[in-house]
Amino acid sequence: MDTFETVLRAGRLNRRDLIKAAGGMAFAAPFGLAAPARAADATLKVGFVSPRTGPLASFGESDPFILQQVRAALAKGVEVGGKTYGIEILDRDTQSDPVRAGQLAKELINKDKVDFMLSTSTPETVNPVADACEAAGVPSLSTIMPWEAFYFGRGAKPGEPSPFKWSFLFSFGVNDFLKCYVSQWNGPVQTNKKVGALLPNDADGNAIRAHLMPALAKAGFTIVDPGGYEDGTTDFSAQIAKFKSEGVEILVTFPIPPDFATFWRQAAQQGLTKQLKIVQVAKTGLFPSTIEALGSLGPNIASACYWHKDFPYKSSVTGMSSKDIADSYEKATGKQWSQQLGATQSLFDAGVAALKASGAPTDKAALAKAISTLKADTTVGAIDFAKGPVPGVVNTPIIGTQWIKAKPGSKFKLDYVITENANDPNVPVGAKLIPYNG
Amino acid sequence: MTVLPKFAVERWTRASAVSGGVAVAVVAALAVLPLIGGDNLVDKLTTLFVYVILAAMWNALAGYAGLVSVGQQAFFGVGAYFAIRCSVAGVPPYPALIAGALIATAVAVPLSYFMLLLRGGEFSIGMWVLAEAIHLLVNLDPLIQGETGTSMIALNAYAHETRLAANYWLALAGMVGLLGAIFVLLRSPFGASVQAIRDDEEAAASIGVSVQRAKRTMFVLAAFGCALAGVLWLATSVTFQPKTNFGVQWTAYMILMALVGGLGTFEGPILGAVLFFLVQDQFAETGVAYMAGLGTVAILFALFAPRGIWGEIEKRWNLRLLPVGYFLRPTGPPKPDRRSK
Repeated sequence: MDTFETVLRAGRLNRRDLIKAAGGMAFAAPFGLAAPARAADATLKVGFVSPRTGPLASFGESDPFILQQVRAALAKGVEVGGKTYGIEILDRDTQSDPVRAGQLAKELINKDKVDFMLSTSTPETVNPVADACEAAGVPSLSTIMPWEAFYFGRGAKPGEPSPFKWSFLFSFGVNDFLKCYVSQWNGPVQTNKKVGALLPNDADGNAIRAHLMPALAKAGFTIVDPGGYEDGTTDFSAQIAKFKSEGVEILVTFPIPPDFATFWRQAAQQGLTKQLKIVQVAKTGLFPSTIEALGSLGPNIASACYWHKDFPYKSSVTGMSSKDIADSYEKATGKQWSQQLGATQSLFDAGVAALKASGAPTDKAALAKAISTLKADTTVGAIDFAKGPVPGVVNTPIIGTQWIKAKPGSKFKLDYVITENANDPNVPVGAKLIPYNG
Repeated sequence: MTVLPKFAVERWTRASAVSGGVAVAVVAALAVLPLIGGDNLVDKLTTLFVYVILAAMWNALAGYAGLVSVGQQAFFGVGAYFAIRCSVAGVPPYPALIAGALIATAVAVPLSYFMLLLRGGEFSIGMWVLAEAIHLLVNLDPLIQGETGTSMIALNAYAHETRLAANYWLALAGMVGLLGAIFVLLRSPFGASVQAIRDDEEAAASIGVSVQRAKRTMFVLAAFGCALAGVLWLATSVTFQPKTNFGVQWTAYMILMALVGGLGTFEGPILGAVLFFLVQDQFAETGVAYMAGLGTVAILFALFAPRGIWGEIEKRWNLRLLPVGYFLRPTGPPKPDRRSK
């Protein structure tokens, strides 16, 4: 960890330093470069595409750390069918631009001739990469985006056979949110079950409005939906007035982070925050930075996570437990752990399991076939592609959480606690949900 | 009457005759490239051709007809949208792509009657508003599912190499065809009339130029070009996400390429597209610095070299490789070279 320490001591550590440091470490590791060339029968090229800069940068912020862990763990190669394969990971930054994501994927396919493509975080990253792989016949595995937007958002039709042969996803979907929210809202905090829904007129907002809201209504909640707003809206007075007059005590929202900050400040000024008992945010509030940015309005906002350091699962690639991953990240970077750590790690866990299961990882068709029935242990739990919900897609859980003020003496301002576990009872509940206005 | 020195009016100089021949040879070489070139080269060149089309279209609008549009992404996006609609309706992928571009062009015709009533800055802003409006209308289509978008998965029916080559040839044909069309148009009397409108609309009208018709022709041609670029882009990326395909960045790229290459010259936008393509290929990794660099370059060119690189080359060496104007060459006693505008 010397390189990290040096950077840390030198002063503030930013993302770029971290990437440089991670790169330096990989280079300096005595066996890091030599091993695949020496021992391996062949080298497998694996593309890894994620957003590390731009508006989605908080997703990719911890990727260099995970890459460094994974590279070290795979330095001696992977044994498949009696042969040892070196693994070369070609990581690329989309800069949060879907056009660039597609171009990077094509370049990895056409120029670098990758055997396998991994991608993570949001439809803007995953869909263009998966489409490029599907069109080129390169096996592709992704995570962290609503599976409905991956499957139906790329032209698949309900009730028809899957049109995809090469692209696979394990991630959460609308039903996972439903189960999590119903469990969270029927928990220790008593409310009038009136839910204000602040949903933008964008991909996620519309999917949630069409599928999640009716299901929540069926589960006994009254939905107050003032209608879709456009991303980038600066005046939420109308929505706030509606929520106030209807007396909602639960707020559910799927905004882009800057919009939530705008809305939430206006909600505080106009007195809405005082009446809300549960503030359930998704899409924003995934990472400590977005909640810290809200200042005193941040603590007690409820969220949901796709990975948490208290998950009882370990990485099958590095052998590290969820807690180890979070702790070593904090130690190495001085930053608070984030839920993307375990998610990116799980992508490599599943990816390596797929390479092993294929029997012949250089054979693209064999690899795709292996993924279609893959069973793997990952940091987010066991995944099983035979289960569905649709071909080529596995559901992973969403777990209810809450941001609370950290205990005195903590290194960080906020603590992120698990408040329900309806989607995966193996995950330990760490705290009771407390009311936002409590 | 003073005796003027003798001039010959000519169009094809020796340099331009040679470069015309070279252009034909280059196109012929490009046409056979997919048979020998690697996948990556073929795919990258397809991107380059799309950029050339975009740059040439914006130049045709702004550099020749004086229509400064910041909403050309409307046609780029809507062409792709109609292509997907046709594909879903059962049209085979490649005919669907071409149909998409043609339908977008058909949409541009009635739009031109409204948009061309606006002039100058109003037209620029109006085009942006139009692009946003079309974007929102497309979002309302249940097939597109708001910003979720969809993908033209019918393209997956082709083998990888076949699709790459087909995209490449379609892009090459589109580029050569559109550049050829602009070349022929600009050399015809029509070319003189649009440039007259650009330089002074009232004066042009007063000498009998049919202003609206000339502008409309360029508007519709540029709409077709941008829509074709949009469907070509769809063919290479498969993914359609409204926010991306209707992104104002496409017009920003067009402006940058035309401005840097040389606005109002035939060769400039081609040069600009090649440069932009190379810069993007080399420096896009640097992210923020790259974007800031592009912006700085555009500003510097606008301030200090408004006629772009090719404009400067023309001025300095009096070089026109593919002439759309006329040269005056002194045939009498040697005089310094001059050229008509």
